[in-house]
Amino acid sequence: MTRTPRPSRLARTAVTSSAVSLLLLTTACGGGGSDKAGGEGDGKPVTITYWSATTGAKETVDAFNKTHHDVKVKFSLVPSGPDGVTKLTNAVKAGNAPDVTTMDYSELPEFAGQGNLQDLSGAAGAFVKAKFPDNMQSLVNLGGKTWAVPFDVTPLELFYRKDLFKKFGVAVPTTWAEYRKAAEKIHKADPSVRITNFGGGDPALLAGLAWQAGAHWYSISGDAWKVDIDDAASRKVAAYWDGLLKDDLASKTPLWSKDETSERANGKVATVIGAAWSASGFPTNYPALKGKWGIAPLPTWDGRAATGMYGGTSYVVPKGSAHRDADVEFIKWVTTDPAAMRARLSSQKLPSSALPANRQMQAVAEKAYDGSYFPGQDVYKLAENAAATIVPGWTWGPVHQQVNSAQNATGADHTKSLTVGQATAEKSIEARGMNLAK
Amino acid sequence: MAPPLSRPLQAAPRPHRLRRGERSAVGLFVVPFFVLFTLATLVPVGYAVWMSLFEEESSGLGFGGTHRVFAGFGNYAHALTDSDFLRSFAHVAAYCAVYIPVMVGGALLIALLIDSAMARARRFFQIATFLPHAVPSVIASLIWLYLYTPGLSPITDLLGRLGAHVDFFGSGTVLLSVINISAWQWIGYNVIIFYAALQAIGRETLEAARIDGAHETRIAWSVKIPMIRPTVVLTLLFTGVGAIQLFDAPMLLQSRAITMGTSWTPTMFIYDAAFRGHDYGLAAAGALLLALVAGGLSFVVTKLGNRWKES
Repeated sequence: MTRTPRPSRLARTAVTSSAVSLLLLTTACGGGGSDKAGGEGDGKPVTITYWSATTGAKETVDAFNKTHHDVKVKFSLVPSGPDGVTKLTNAVKAGNAPDVTTMDYSELPEFAGQGNLQDLSGAAGAFVKAKFPDNMQSLVNLGGKTWAVPFDVTPLELFYRKDLFKKFGVAVPTTWAEYRKAAEKIHKADPSVRITNFGGGDPALLAGLAWQAGAHWYSISGDAWKVDIDDAASRKVAAYWDGLLKDDLASKTPLWSKDETSERANGKVATVIGAAWSASGFPTNYPALKGKWGIAPLPTWDGRAATGMYGGTSYVVPKGSAHRDADVEFIKWVTTDPAAMRARLSSQKLPSSALPANRQMQAVAEKAYDGSYFPGQDVYKLAENAAATIVPGWTWGPVHQQVNSAQNATGADHTKSLTVGQATAEKSIEARGMNLAK
Repeated sequence: MAPPLSRPLQAAPRPHRLRRGERSAVGLFVVPFFVLFTLATLVPVGYAVWMSLFEEESSGLGFGGTHRVFAGFGNYAHALTDSDFLRSFAHVAAYCAVYIPVMVGGALLIALLIDSAMARARRFFQIATFLPHAVPSVIASLIWLYLYTPGLSPITDLLGRLGAHVDFFGSGTVLLSVINISAWQWIGYNVIIFYAALQAIGRETLEAARIDGAHETRIAWSVKIPMIRPTVVLTLLFTGVGAIQLFDAPMLLQSRAITMGTSWTPTMFIYDAAFRGHDYGLAAAGALLLALVAGGLSFVVTKLGNRWKES
């Protein structure tokens, strides 16, 4: 969900560089926004503030306010991606953070570790265990505490051009070896077409592919963080992709770039590796290709179904909120109540294909989704099946932002991305005074 | 980047003793400046110095939150040994090596040409060279980013058709891509300054040179340029200081030229340290070091410039 409506990195950077000073100004002037005076239990509803970049968030809030009288939610739309994180960091530092906000799973450990999040173990710990699948637990429970409530689950899947596969006589690959063969066959038949583009631009995708292969980039061992970004499983994945790039079978165009959109729209790539939420981006980005894209499970290494995650949103309570009970009441509603999902989807012309992590919500989302762009395919069923094969146990690390930007700078060199990520993670963990297990 | 220019003061007359009333009037007039200067410059700099002496420490897994510890000059040592920070200065140095000659030499050349052109064409060229400067730098960088992106840009398209495949985002070319954006934006500004200075040269001086048989090139080289030296020095100073603060263009370009990294210039390093690394101490130390370098360079340029002005 975080990534679905994401504006291009470019536009986000543009906004950042022009708005940094403005932001500093507003955070300085807007102090004490959350009304700490309105106490609980005096009959008046508690008002909580909520920041999110997710689509349909406003409609969800409206529905909540209509049906709830003890808690009122005041919503603000914030930038998605790194800029939203920056905004939130600054707000917490300035003491005017919202009561509730959404956060990418990968950002949680770092935010929690900076002391910027409230521990939800007491208020929502049991709830998270009961309402969400096992393979989501390691993402939100860290160091024995619950820091967030999951919203969506983001299994990687393979989106492929049915028409091109047919034209070049290629079967849908089920293993990575077959995927490479398909790439060779297609590129040989038409040198201008490549299997996909993976020229860097979003280290989270490499992480998701490594996750599928059984890597655990971070883990907690006792009282220390363990970093295994450059482990054997990840190296296998990186070497595979570096090979495809070197042999010109995959395009070096970075993910999320403008030229990526044009390559995909113009039939220059035959597949896209995306998550459940990616499906709803297709009708918007490539409207002319309606009916030409198919969805299949991500190819595997050994034939056994497995996948990793790519992005995904959770709900957190930042430090400073004085209404944790009200916050958690809202969070529980928004992450599990079918009414919340109905409200979220009602407003959208093209409902998001994000797959809620909670079962009841999945059913609602499935019903509301318009799958006519992918005729003959049950988009939600495929995503649910994929979600069941997510390799459990993945944990994100406490220095994610620096690792992410260091990895990003390695561009299309995925092997280097691993060594640089490993070194940056170890260095940053130690520099911040945390324990590092060797 | 630069405040409006005025021609440097002539040798100041000896100050005469102020009467009491005059003195308090002078005091009254400078108070607003000092109030603003204190609030907008001294206080933030002081706060930055204070911040640069501390660092946020976590312990264990980090989930206990952070606490602030006194770091002394630790953040400065960290910045000065950080290869990214040092490399960012190298990038700016390489940038200046090309950018400053282009910006000062090129602008001077254009100003001299305009100055010697026909009266009607003058106004046109003046506006034409200045126009890009009216485009906000973020927008300008965005426009250029599109013009550099293969598959979208008419420029790469045209070059491709001619058989030249230029990668504007490659590690070898990205420096020139950045310089091109800045130069496109700022050269008109320098041209206007030089042109204004050239206009202020007495026409009788130029006429005298002409009567003595000097041709236009000779006049430009031996009369015009020496007479606008103070302006050239000042422009050099502003261009240099502006170059050190380079941010918008590379920040936007690195969204596509991802191998540039997020700390390609010192200001980008500082931004990254503060807002991605959450390391405000390191960011403050980096910012102060950058200010020190900028101040030092300004001093050197002014000193050298003054010597050249007097020679």
